[in-house]
Amino acid sequence: MNRTLALVLAAGQVDELLTLTERRPKSAVPVFGIYRAIDFVLSNLMHSGITNVGVLSQFRPYSLLRHIGSGEHWDFIGRSRTLNVLPPYRGQKESDWYKGTADAIYQNISYIESFNPDNVLICSADHIYHMDYRPLIKSHMENKAEVTACFTKVISKSRRFGYGVIEKNHKVTEYIEKPEKPPTNLASMTVYLFKTSTLIDLLKTNAKENSHEFGRDLLPVLVKNKTLYGYKFRDPWYYARTVKSYYNAHMALLGRKFDLGSWQVRTNLIERNEKGDRVPTRITGDVSNSVVSEGCVINGQVMNSVLSPGVIVEKGAIVQDSIIFHDSFIQSDAFIKQAICDKDVFIGENVEIGRVGSNVISKEYGELLEDGFTLIGKNIKIPARTRIGANSVIFSTARSIADEIPPGSTLK
Amino acid sequence: MKKNIIAMLLAGGVGSRLNILARKRAKPAIPFGGIYRIIDFTLSNIANSGIEVVGVLTQYKPQSLMEHLEDGRPWDLYGRTRNVEVLPPKTGEEISDWYRGTSDAVYQNFGFIEDYLPEQVLIVSGDHIYNMNYQQLREFHQAHRADATVCLVRVPEDETRHFGIAITAPDGRIADWEEKPSQPKSNLASMGVYLFNREILAWALALAAKKGGYDFAKDVIPIILKQKRIFGYEFNGYWRDVGTLDAYWNANMDLIRTGSGLDIENWHVKTNMADRGEIGDRPSTYFSRVARVRNSLISRGCIIEGSVENSILSPGVRVGKKTLIRDSIIFHDTSISDQVRLNRVIIDKDAVIAEGAQIGVGESLPNETYPGHLSTGLTIIGKTVRIPPRCRIGTNTIIKPNTDLARKKLRDIPPGTTV
Repeated sequence: MNRTLALVLAAGQVDELLTLTERRPKSAVPVFGIYRAIDFVLSNLMHSGITNVGVLSQFRPYSLLRHIGSGEHWDFIGRSRTLNVLPPYRGQKESDWYKGTADAIYQNISYIESFNPDNVLICSADHIYHMDYRPLIKSHMENKAEVTACFTKVISKSRRFGYGVIEKNHKVTEYIEKPEKPPTNLASMTVYLFKTSTLIDLLKTNAKENSHEFGRDLLPVLVKNKTLYGYKFRDPWYYARTVKSYYNAHMALLGRKFDLGSWQVRTNLIERNEKGDRVPTRITGDVSNSVVSEGCVINGQVMNSVLSPGVIVEKGAIVQDSIIFHDSFIQSDAFIKQAICDKDVFIGENVEIGRVGSNVISKEYGELLEDGFTLIGKNIKIPARTRIGANSVIFSTARSIADEIPPGSTLK
Repeated sequence: MKKNIIAMLLAGGVGSRLNILARKRAKPAIPFGGIYRIIDFTLSNIANSGIEVVGVLTQYKPQSLMEHLEDGRPWDLYGRTRNVEVLPPKTGEEISDWYRGTSDAVYQNFGFIEDYLPEQVLIVSGDHIYNMNYQQLREFHQAHRADATVCLVRVPEDETRHFGIAITAPDGRIADWEEKPSQPKSNLASMGVYLFNREILAWALALAAKKGGYDFAKDVIPIILKQKRIFGYEFNGYWRDVGTLDAYWNANMDLIRTGSGLDIENWHVKTNMADRGEIGDRPSTYFSRVARVRNSLISRGCIIEGSVENSILSPGVRVGKKTLIRDSIIFHDTSISDQVRLNRVIIDKDAVIAEGAQIGVGESLPNETYPGHLSTGLTIIGKTVRIPPRCRIGTNTIIKPNTDLARKKLRDIPPGTTV
C-alpha cells in the first residue's frame, strides 16, 4: 500500500486578521462556533485514512498546542498513528526560525525520512473545506506524477492566490503567483502532494536560494521542467486569511446549514481547560438563520450570526450578521451589527456597534477593513451607551474606550 | 489508601414506573435535561463536594450506565487518589450472588469500603435530581457527634406514603421513624441520603443481615435508631425523586421554569460527553430563518426549522418546517418532520416522526395497561419507533420501542392505548 505522510503548515505569521490573531496563530482562530481553523484539515486527514501527521508551528503556538494535544481527538494516537507538532529548533548552524513554507519542511527532512513515506502531502491549517485526499493520491499515482498541486475554482480572482493553467492530460503548463490579471480562475489551494525523493531534492536545492516559498519558488521550477500535475477540487473551499474572507466563510457555511454535520469535523472539546459539558442552549428570545452553541443564553434577538459556546444575549439586545466567540456577554438593549467579538468580550447596555459608517474605510488598515466589519479584541469591556462606528478595530491591549468611536478607528 | 469519607452510590434501581424509558437502561442512566443522565446529578454532587472515591452499586441492565461512567474522568474522579469503582454483584462463595436490597449491596462490598478506612461512609442514590454539598452534611454530622445522619426534605402531606418519614426532636435527633406511613406524624421525608460512621455501619449491616434485613430504610435505620445517636439533617434545596413519568417530566420542566430552584449552571453538573460511543463534537445547533423557540433547552447538533416551546431537546434532534413542539422532551437524534404537532410527549432516542403526525391529542384517559404509570396527559414514544405520516396518537399512550406503526398500518391511536 502507498504510504503518505502529511505535513500541515500552521506557521503563518500573517496579521491580516488583526485582533483575532493578536495572541493566537491563524490556525487556532475559532471557526463556526466550536471549531478552530486547523480542525478542518486534521479532520480531512483523519477521514482520508492518513495516519501520520506533522504540524509545523512557530507563531504564538500555545493555544494551538493545547488544542492539538496528543492528537487523540482526530484519532492520531495509537501504535501506528501519530501526530507530532514540529516547532523550529536551534540548528547547529545559523538560523533557527522557519524562513518560509519550503524552509519549514526543509528543516524537518529528517522527520520525513524517519517515516520513509512514498509521498508527502503538504497542506495549510487555515483553509475551511471538506476533502477526501484519497482521489488526489490516486490521480497522482495514475499520472506517475512527482508533484501534484490542488486547484479550486474561485469567483473573485483575488490577487492573493497563485493561478494555474491545467491541460487535459492534467499537466500544469502555467503558474503565476499573485498576478495582477490571473490567466484562469483556478487558484492553488496550497495543497501539494510530492513524491518523497523529489521533495527532498527540491528542498535541498531551494535551501541554497534566498527565498523559500512553495508557491513563489518551487512551483514555477516544476512548471518549467514540465513535471507539475494539477488536481481540480470541485467542492466548496474557503480560506480565512483576511477579515472579509473569514467572515464570508462563516456566512457561506451558515447558508449550507446541513453540510457541516456531514463533514464530520472533529475538534477538541476541552475548550478553555474544561470538557465541553456546558448546559444546552437556553432560549427565550428570537434566533433566526443562526448557529448557536451550547452554554449560550439567548433572551434577546440573534439573526444571521454564529455564536460560540457560553455567549449571553440579554433581553432587548440585537445581534445581527455577527460572529461572537466564547463567553462574550451582551447586555440588554445593545445593538451589534457585522461585528466579530473575540472571547470574553463584555458589551454594556445600549451599546451600538456598526450601526453607522460602513462606507468609511479604516484609517490604519485600509482595504483590510472596508466592508463594514468591526472587530472587538479579547477581554475588552465596552461601557454602556458607547457607540462604535463600522470598520473599527479594538485590540485587546486598548486601555480606555471613548463614548463615541468614529468609523474606521483603531484602538490599541 | 486512607480517605476521610467515601461514597457508595446505589444505582441498581429498576425504575419500572418509568415504563419504557427504563426498559433497556438502569434508571440512573435515563437521559435528563438534554445532555445529562439522571446519575450525573449525584455524581456531580459527590465531585463538587470534594469526595474522591465512589463505589457504584449496579445490578439492573448496567451496560449503558457503565459506558457512561467510563473511568470517572468526566467528573474528575480519576487519578492516583481518585476513583469510581463499579461494583456489580459477585458470584458468591455461599448462597446468593444477587443484591437482595440496598443495604445488602453495601454489605456485600464492605471490603471495598475498608480498603479506604474512611471515618464516614456516605450512602446516596443514583436516581434523584438535586444539587447538594455533602460537606455541609458532614459538618452537621460531626458537630452533633452523630453515629448516623439521615437527610430529610419536607414533602407535601399526600406524598408521605411514598417515603420513609422521620420524627425529629428539637435537637435534631430522630426520635421516631415510619416507613411509608398512611397516617404520617411528620412531613420530613428521607432523601435516601445517609451518612454513617464506618464502624456503626459495619455493625448495623451485619446485624440487619443476621435478621434477614437488606434494606436501609426498613432494616438498618430502625436498628441504629434503637441503640445509637441518629440525627436528621434537613435539606432545604431542590430535591426530586424522579421515579414516575410525571415526576420525571416535571423535574425536566423545572430546568426551564424560572424560580424552580433547580440550577445546573451554577452548580456545574458534569456529564460524559462521549454519548452514543462518540465524543460529542457535533456541530452547534442551526436555527433557520423561520425557527421559533420559546423557553427551551436545545442541545448541540440539532437543526431547528419549526417552533419549539417549553421543551427540552437532546443532541441531534431535527425539527421540521411548520412543526410545533410544546411541553415535550425529545431524546438524541430523533427526527421530527414537517407539520408535526407534539404536545406533552416524551420521545426516546432515534425515533422518526413523519410529516403531519399529531401526538398527544384528544381527551386524557388513563393508560389502559398501566393506569398507575400514565394518566396525566403525557405520551411516551419508545426508542427507534416510526410514526407514519398524518398519524394521530392520543394522550396517555405508550408506543413500545422499535414499533413501526406504518407496518402495523395504524393511523389513529385513541388515548390511553399501549402499542
